[in-house]
Amino acid sequence: MNETGVAIDFIGITKTYKSGALEVPVLHGIDMRVMRGEYVAIMGPSGSGKSTLMNIIGCLDRPTSGTYRLEGEDVSRLDDNALAALRLRKLGFVFQGFNLLARTDALKNVGLPLFYAGVGSRERARRAMAVLEEVGLSDRARHRPSELSGGQQQRVAIARALINDPAVLLADEPTGNLDTKTSADIMAVFDQLHAGGRTIIMVTHDENIARNARRIIRLIDGLVVADDVIQGARSLTGS
Amino acid sequence: MMYFEEALRVLLANKIRTFLTIIGLIIGVFAVISIDVLGHSMAGSIDELLSPLADDTFILFPATVQGDFDKAAMRLGDLTTIVATVPNVTAAVPLGGQSILMRHGHNIGNLHLYSDSSNPLANQPLAYGRLLSDDDVANASDVCVINWKTYRRLFPEGGEPTGESVYAGSHRYVIVGVLAQPREGAINATFGGDVAIPYTTYQREYVHGDRVFAAQFTVANVATMPQTEVAVINAVRALRKVGSDTRYQTFDKAQFAQGVNSVFNAVTLVVALIGAVSLLVAGIGVMNIMLVSVTERTKEIGTRKAIGARRGQILLQFLFESALLSGLGCFIGMVLGLVAGGAVNDIFIVKLTGYAAPPPFAQALLITGVFAAIVTLAFGTYPAYRAARLDPIEALRYE
Repeated sequence: MNETGVAIDFIGITKTYKSGALEVPVLHGIDMRVMRGEYVAIMGPSGSGKSTLMNIIGCLDRPTSGTYRLEGEDVSRLDDNALAALRLRKLGFVFQGFNLLARTDALKNVGLPLFYAGVGSRERARRAMAVLEEVGLSDRARHRPSELSGGQQQRVAIARALINDPAVLLADEPTGNLDTKTSADIMAVFDQLHAGGRTIIMVTHDENIARNARRIIRLIDGLVVADDVIQGARSLTGS
Repeated sequence: MMYFEEALRVLLANKIRTFLTIIGLIIGVFAVISIDVLGHSMAGSIDELLSPLADDTFILFPATVQGDFDKAAMRLGDLTTIVATVPNVTAAVPLGGQSILMRHGHNIGNLHLYSDSSNPLANQPLAYGRLLSDDDVANASDVCVINWKTYRRLFPEGGEPTGESVYAGSHRYVIVGVLAQPREGAINATFGGDVAIPYTTYQREYVHGDRVFAAQFTVANVATMPQTEVAVINAVRALRKVGSDTRYQTFDKAQFAQGVNSVFNAVTLVVALIGAVSLLVAGIGVMNIMLVSVTERTKEIGTRKAIGARRGQILLQFLFESALLSGLGCFIGMVLGLVAGGAVNDIFIVKLTGYAAPPPFAQALLITGVFAAIVTLAFGTYPAYRAARLDPIEALRYE
């Protein structure tokens, strides 16, 4: 493996929350490396620390100790505004609840990250239309979230996450609010993105969903307990 | 402008809330602007009413009860002495007047006859002829200048009045001029009276002895008029050999304007107080609703931060919302204030004085802008700051 192929590099990452005088350790020292183009699922029961891990990967939170390199850049000690800039440039988020702006049409929702990046409105609309095309929703560009189905809303959210051409697409329970059929549709989109070379990290508690990924990292009590590469799509390796 | 667009969308999505919040601002700005418009037109009208009065003259008269008047009254000779001895005084003219029955042909009027000079009490435009001249005064000629009302009374059929004779009793005066018709209005400031004759003629015909009821003084330097007035009063007291318990009153245009101004200053203070209170109340309303808005949209803020919005960008977004909210309220208040102030102006002040002051648009805009800016910055900053410093993880978790 050469260094330039590494998307995410965790070296001895710990996270401890302080609640008054009480210190609550959540991550006990995680070493993990995700290469560019990988499709990884992170699984674990509640309290395993998978959300905290996700937040640190997503540069929403800083580790208490350890080093986190995102595409070779040490981001473990950056301040809030630098982290915001990093999220803008290198990360794309897909949430369980879609988190779209309710009164804003799909095109503007998708273009929002570009607004924060200072891109002009015409260019925003052009690029937003292009990614909407990619997720198969260009005909719904002028619809508001309330006029779209759950699956369509999640596709809009995926388009929004992709518009900055991020290094890593982070999905937190992306199918948690969707029925089985729609979940399969969304997983098909992820497959397609993976095939196109995207790096995807997905947190889920659903074994069926996790099996869509090519690698599953399992967390228990703040430690990685299993890290398995799935040989061939949708084939389960035991845990 | 995306911030503006989004702020507008939020305000329109909560129409009732937006309206309730800005009512305070509307009322406050409405009160301030409408009273500002009225004050402006009142001041303008009074300026206009007083405009014929000369700046460089003042009137002096004894402010005593009837019995002491003889002792206090100036004599004709005093005026000459004062012009010669009191610095800054360039001329002194005795004033007097009385009601008298006047006649032209079959037309009769009970009119006010008064003494005047070639430097009249007030500069009013002429409809016919000329004003009294120095020669008229020097020769104590039997000539007069009549005002428009008198012309209408004595010449109901119209026609050229100059050279015509009018009679006061058996005394005949030749009309040399007619003052122009004043503006239409309920308050017609008339200066002097109806029929002006040379003061020398007046003294000869209507004053027994050389007593002067009041006098009009002209000064060279208007800036020192108040001091000159005191000097003249002192000179009169010395000449009449009376003490400071004998009171004299002076009257000039600046004094009158000052009196009017002090009334307006009081009105301005009251308006400023209303403005300040409504600003505070409305500002608290804006702050309250903005805090509610920030709380309601915690998750949205978290999402925006997750996709890369910096603190400053979130701050700006909410400041824009406050600015739009207060700008909208202030603007509506301003428009209503201009309309209401303008209507009251048209209904009352223009009818009273016949003078329509142009509405103070620039001033109204300035006041409104300052109002909106203060409310936005003083009461919108804290909610926007709260939004900007939300922790994205906590915010995303908020339901």
